[in-house]
Amino acid sequence: MVKKHPIKVVLAKPGLDGHDRGINVVSLALRDAGMEVVYLGRQATPEQIVETAIQEGANLIGMSILSDTHMDYCPQVIDLLREKNAGNTKVILGGFIPNQKDVRWLKKYGVAEVFGTGSSLDAIVKWINENV
Amino acid sequence: MFTKQELTQVKSAQKRWNKDNRGEFRKERHSKFTSDEGMVRQRVYTPLDLSEKGISYTSDLGFPGEYPYTRGITSTMYRSQLPLSLHTIGRAIPEEFNRICRDVYAAGSGMVGILTDLPTQLGYDPDFPPARAEVGKVGTSLCSLRDWEVAFDGINLGKVWTHIQANAQATWALACYSVAAERQGVDTTKLEGNLQNDIFKEFNARGMYIFPPRQSLRLVTDSLVYCAEHMPRFKPLQIQSYGYSEAGANRVHEIAFTLATAVTYLEAALGRGVDIDAIAPCVMFLLSHDHIDFFDEIAKIRATRKIWATLMKERFHARKDESMKMVILSSQGGTSLVKEQYMNNIARGAITWLAGALAGCQQIGNRSYDECRGIASDEALLTALRSGQIVTHETGVCDVVDPLGGSYYVESLTCQYEEKITQALDEIAARGGMVKATEDGYVVRVIREDAYKYQKMVESGERLKVGHNIFQMPEEEKEARVYRADPKVIKKRVQDVEQFKKKRNIQKVNRTLNELKKCAAAKESNETNLMMPIMEAVKASATLGEVCGTLRAVFGEYQGPNA
Repeated sequence: MVKKHPIKVVLAKPGLDGHDRGINVVSLALRDAGMEVVYLGRQATPEQIVETAIQEGANLIGMSILSDTHMDYCPQVIDLLREKNAGNTKVILGGFIPNQKDVRWLKKYGVAEVFGTGSSLDAIVKWINENV
Repeated sequence: MFTKQELTQVKSAQKRWNKDNRGEFRKERHSKFTSDEGMVRQRVYTPLDLSEKGISYTSDLGFPGEYPYTRGITSTMYRSQLPLSLHTIGRAIPEEFNRICRDVYAAGSGMVGILTDLPTQLGYDPDFPPARAEVGKVGTSLCSLRDWEVAFDGINLGKVWTHIQANAQATWALACYSVAAERQGVDTTKLEGNLQNDIFKEFNARGMYIFPPRQSLRLVTDSLVYCAEHMPRFKPLQIQSYGYSEAGANRVHEIAFTLATAVTYLEAALGRGVDIDAIAPCVMFLLSHDHIDFFDEIAKIRATRKIWATLMKERFHARKDESMKMVILSSQGGTSLVKEQYMNNIARGAITWLAGALAGCQQIGNRSYDECRGIASDEALLTALRSGQIVTHETGVCDVVDPLGGSYYVESLTCQYEEKITQALDEIAARGGMVKATEDGYVVRVIREDAYKYQKMVESGERLKVGHNIFQMPEEEKEARVYRADPKVIKKRVQDVEQFKKKRNIQKVNRTLNELKKCAAAKESNETNLMMPIMEAVKASATLGEVCGTLRAVFGEYQGPNA
């Protein structure tokens, strides 16, 4: 039987925002769920995020944004993935998204799922296992 | 505190009581009651607990205003001076900040606080391309002396306590604040306020750092030495536990990291040959407290005040009382708010305020109920202020000094926190101190593990949050009316700054920046204090980005802890 590779996730915080409690906790939960996590930390540029995802052969990119810049950085990452023919790498977003209008817009643009503040770790792990 | 005979009587009475109520005890809601740190809560506390811990009234508590200040730093506390109420305000541009700042001040806050946007915190001007997406998003964009003058126009800086969020660029902020006050005609030796200038919690928790630790320490020392001489009533170093707590550290780690940081700053300043009693009164603290584990928060703050006094006296050999008195602003953490049924946060804010008053803080901050939904609305800011005013003016808790002092429970808990925090401080010392514990990532790892543990407690239901994991209700998809920066305003802000830069005497700007560069490249000393050249640059209309850019070129940039 072929051993299944663990799911590989690139986690990053684009922009200048420093609030990393959420992404830190998510990275520990994904690790404990048997996934492989590549954490780029704060101030990762969309280019770095996409390049890392391609080089690492990641299945998923998870970004966390709490400074109301999701409408800037999410489309940039998705556009870059498409440009580099890596559009099958799914993108999820965590953090603070102030309204549902933004969430709908982001999903339409190509963000696979949005986990706002207060989301449970179980829900995130479950979603990844079912959708990646 | 009790006679031997009394204690023997209590012991036998408790033995009997335990026996009589065995059946009742079995019906308790949990087999074990604990705080988030795992501190076990007994069923009841008695004089026996105080006696077992060896608590002495005179040496452990003392009288208010006397060493070790467990009961408060003044003899009369709120009977003379009510706690100030802090409501930090985030608005996109200086003009918008000014409008709401005037409102909050007029509503009786006595204190104004400015929160800046991320480019400002990181020393970038709003027209710097990589910063453009962040301008005015989470606070006010400030990049020149002119911006400071606009922000505080009509607010007499000589009459209000000003709380300034700065950190990595704190020397620049201090220069702008002081020059702006001077131009208002205020005697700067009378200025009262504080500068959030604690760079270690940025390295370890918030991430808003620019320069490496050693150079950052130089900047902190420069501001301390400058204020000790020129602005003696201002607190240029507000050290905060808040950042650690918000990042997820438990109470014991939160305070231990904060005190270890304070020791580091003081030692750096002493290395410059200044007297401990000249600089220690320039230090104040921003602690964190929530409504969660109410008595633990109160005990934590009482214990912290005592440990600080002991540290100052025994380790730093301070002689002045002022050096041993811990001036505390304690503020509610945004993470204590709950998004679901968010109006309930008004209650959380009020309970938090009560805890702060019972702990004897000089200034108390509570969050606005809608902050879990965005930047606080004007209405929510006012409600938060009024919640605190209800505590101070209606409940009577401010009429007696340290009203919980002597409670068997609160005193036992204060003693427990003192022990645990002291142990954690020893652990940091054994690891080579706060600089090393920061650089090798120890602090970051501890906080991360604490945050993970807490989140698992919330998800398992061990830690209850009304509306979130108990008493949930179907949520309507109703948007909160929070503040959000208008993109048109931001666009105009960037254009204004570009225009401002064009209109300056650029030779003068460059000359002051060159002086700053030379001074920064020189060896650290009281003669090369960077405050002077930064003040000159500010007066010449050099911008934040230019001042920090000059320092970046000399100091380099820090890449963060090795975690």
